[in-house]
Amino acid sequence: MMKWVLFIPELYYVLFGLVFFILSLSKNASSKRLHGIAMTLAGVGVLVTVFCARQTGMVFFDAYRVDLFSQTFKLLLSLGTFWVISSCNELKGIDERQHPEFYFLISICTLGMMMLVSAVELLTIYVAIELSSYTLFLLVPMRRNADVYAETGIKYFMVGVTASAFMIFGISLIFGMAHTTYVTDILRVLPGVIHEPAAIAGLVLALCGFFFKQALFPFHSWAPDVYQGAANQVTTFIATASKMAAAAMVIRFVGFSGGESEVLVNVLMTLSILSMTFGNLVAIIQKDIKRLLAYSSIAHAGYMLVGILSMSERGFASAIYYALAYLVMNYAVFMVIMKIADDGHNLQIKELAGLHKRSPLLAMTLMMGLFGLAGIPPTVGFTGKFLVFAAALEKGYLALVVIGMVNATISLYYYLIVIKAAYLLEPVRPYPAIRIDAWTRSMSLALVGLSVYLGIFPDKFVALTEAAARSLPY
Amino acid sequence: MNALGTYLIIAALLFSLGLLGVLQRRNLIGMLIAVELMLNGASLNFMAFNRFLAPEPAVGQIVTLFIMGLAAAEAAIGLSLILALFRKLRSINVERAQQLKG
Repeated sequence: MMKWVLFIPELYYVLFGLVFFILSLSKNASSKRLHGIAMTLAGVGVLVTVFCARQTGMVFFDAYRVDLFSQTFKLLLSLGTFWVISSCNELKGIDERQHPEFYFLISICTLGMMMLVSAVELLTIYVAIELSSYTLFLLVPMRRNADVYAETGIKYFMVGVTASAFMIFGISLIFGMAHTTYVTDILRVLPGVIHEPAAIAGLVLALCGFFFKQALFPFHSWAPDVYQGAANQVTTFIATASKMAAAAMVIRFVGFSGGESEVLVNVLMTLSILSMTFGNLVAIIQKDIKRLLAYSSIAHAGYMLVGILSMSERGFASAIYYALAYLVMNYAVFMVIMKIADDGHNLQIKELAGLHKRSPLLAMTLMMGLFGLAGIPPTVGFTGKFLVFAAALEKGYLALVVIGMVNATISLYYYLIVIKAAYLLEPVRPYPAIRIDAWTRSMSLALVGLSVYLGIFPDKFVALTEAAARSLPY
Repeated sequence: MNALGTYLIIAALLFSLGLLGVLQRRNLIGMLIAVELMLNGASLNFMAFNRFLAPEPAVGQIVTLFIMGLAAAEAAIGLSLILALFRKLRSINVERAQQLKG
């Protein structure tokens, strides 16, 4: 088999980007047509990743590894991109002249993240993560009439470049300890020297770059402002696709220690607890729903880390499952937000009042998504939390699991506030009717069905994630 | 103290000075320069490790070249964002850019 076949999904997204680069040069492309093209291309992109799902092999002098782990994440990434683009039919939050650039940057960002999950060489990882970050730096300030939100872009940028400087400094220390940039060689050498302070420092610093993307505790400060300040579609993209790529890389890097290091586990445990507690407590007082979801995403990064720090195959598999669950339920909530605020404004929680009368279907989708985020059975969020906590219990981290459970209960409070607004409150003034097209209707039903199905019959997907975790090179 | 140690200490100093600059500066251009200092600290680390430890002679130098290239791209994006902010606020002081809270 020709080797470049392994690179087809990435090549496809390069092509996708190229199409929109050319379209951005022409002056008279209507936004409707652009959306049609983007949706077709993104849809075919999902099919391409599905067809490439069973490939395995190494390309580019072993710097690039295609295996079940990377292909699973590529599938999820392309699915996330497709969903985000599919809800861009009224992209009112972004100036019409910038629509081609918006699609261009989204596709290049997806490309960067796909390269990220496959890269097994430190320099490749660094370049890939910068590619995906830089496009997001440009997407965030791309909001129409953004006077109030002018600072959002620069905040995201400053936190992002600082985190990436931490990461490259950490990578330099790993290089110094292992004398190589190849992940497979590092995995052989690093567990032997993991008790050296430089190795631990390098690993923790290198993880900072991914913690920034995941919005984990010390690097969370951008999340609320960016979620609030970016256009709704961009926020959705950051909250779903970008989070997953980061989770994949944290799984890969934490594996470097070979599970030998007490210090690393303790550091991760502290970060996870701080992240969960901080995110959930601050979310309670939020009025803007995107800001609330930002704090909830900080908390969810903490839950995901619980699975990863178990450093067992089950732990990694549970984290992958959690990433999938998070994609489904978070997208469900964001889709409802995008539809209700279809003129692109920021949705306040009180604006949801009477949603069950204005649109029962969207209200139900919102409820299922929020139940999933809170971890109520039989939704996918419950199964995800269950697997993550079970993996941690297996390793005997009882205190961590108890704190996680307490946090899940706290989080239920603010998710229920939103559900109460949608189902029980009467609107103070009449809000305009919500228009939902056939696509949104079928998407809502599909998401609700998916979150219940994955919650009740998770075995196939658990088997898939376990196979993906096994295909990691250790 | 051996030569490698000297280089590593200088690199760590550069990195910490850069971090201090990012945290303390209120001027966005100043913060951007401070981030470049942090990146240069990492570059120096790569060069030193490459010179004294790595069996493969060129890896660290190639990484340094890439860091320089990416730093240039990063500066371009950063400056364009700063320019956009300046047009709206007529200032590049971060104290002025604090409308989102909560």
